[in-house]
Amino acid sequence: MHEASLVRTLLDKVATLLKEHQGEAVEEVCIELGPLSGVEPLLVQSAFEMLAPQYSLSDAKLIIHEIPLEAKCRDCGALFEIKNFRFRCELCESSAVQVVRGDEFRLLNITIRQAVDNEASA
Amino acid sequence: MNTKTIPVGQDILSPAKQAAADLRADFTRRGIFIVNIVSSPGAGKTSLLEATARHWGGQHKMSVLVGDLATDRDAQRLSPLAPTVQLTTGGACHLEMPLIKKGLEQLGPIETEFLFIENIGNLVCPASHDLGEHLRVVVLSTTEGDDKPGKYPKMFRTSQVLVITKTDLLPYVPFSVDSAVADAQLIQPDIQSIAVCARSGEGIAEWCEMLEAARDRMVASRDDHAAVH
Ligand SMILES: Nc1nc2c(ncn2[C@@H]2O[C@H](COP(=O)(O)OP(=O)(O)O)[C@@H](O)[C@H]2O)c(=O)[nH]1
Ligand SMILES: [Mg+2]
Ligand SMILES: [Zn+2]
Repeated sequence: MHEASLVRTLLDKVATLLKEHQGEAVEEVCIELGPLSGVEPLLVQSAFEMLAPQYSLSDAKLIIHEIPLEAKCRDCGALFEIKNFRFRCELCESSAVQVVRGDEFRLLNITIRQAVDNEASA
Repeated sequence: MNTKTIPVGQDILSPAKQAAADLRADFTRRGIFIVNIVSSPGAGKTSLLEATARHWGGQHKMSVLVGDLATDRDAQRLSPLAPTVQLTTGGACHLEMPLIKKGLEQLGPIETEFLFIENIGNLVCPASHDLGEHLRVVVLSTTEGDDKPGKYPKMFRTSQVLVITKTDLLPYVPFSVDSAVADAQLIQPDIQSIAVCARSGEGIAEWCEMLEAARDRMVASRDDHAAVH
């Protein structure tokens, strides 16, 4: 169960971003998880809810986008979805496939509340 | 009060991955080949390292960082054979870079050709954490069933070598080495596989030769690179 440790890393990053942008609070945190992210979305969600208060981010809502596992064939260049962890090209059956999406724990964006529009006036 | 969306688009592990890549580059320069050994608990990682040290018998220098939740039992087993530091995670299910760095400090200035990292027994979480290794080896014992690769896709996808251990038990368990390798190859077509028995020593010479060849390749490509620049 390493969801908690990854969520701590996420919350650290989010808290740093909030500070950098001089926001008051974080409303939303959007992440992307795929079949090879190595984490279970439900566990990520509950770890987030449990740990967010420790980072003064109690208001933040976690939005998880579940994405498919996508790969590119090094032989024919095809882009395709990998189903059932079968790492073969959909078109040419080559096994030289490179995962391009769906193997990371990716922070997409965060939505913050600001008192004034600091950056526009800066 | 207004809201603003800040785009990030970053793998949250990217700082950790960068630290791992830096460690790997540093050890490549020093000619030290790092091997991260992962498996479920009891698959035979420590036994494999004991057999490796015995086989080399000082012919090749090795050091070990061994991770467990608690106790220094594995370090006690390995210390007579090679410089070893026990890393205890106090409950964490995998090793991360800060613990590796701490272990390396404890190990002191080492003159070694191979640095083995025995990860925590767990086929899930260690898969997500690059520890700066040049080679990730997944160990699967014959008592675990030959259907395991497909059940732990990330671990097998991110490993370059599959070592099947406890081949002495093959007559007693329903396990096909060929089926296990075929299942792993569906996930990682390039995976190299070796069947060994730490008790009898079967396959250990082949395993050691594979490691020596992999380290030679690392050193050669480093030197090629240096020649170009
Ligand atoms: N029969 C048999 N038992 C083995 C072999 N290798 C390891 N074991 C046993 O498996 C158990 C776990 O081994 P260990 O090396 O501690 O596994 P680790 O938890 O992966 O480090 C121990 O009781 C070992 O004696 C082998 O080749 N054959
Ligand atoms: Mg062990
Ligand atoms: Zn193709």
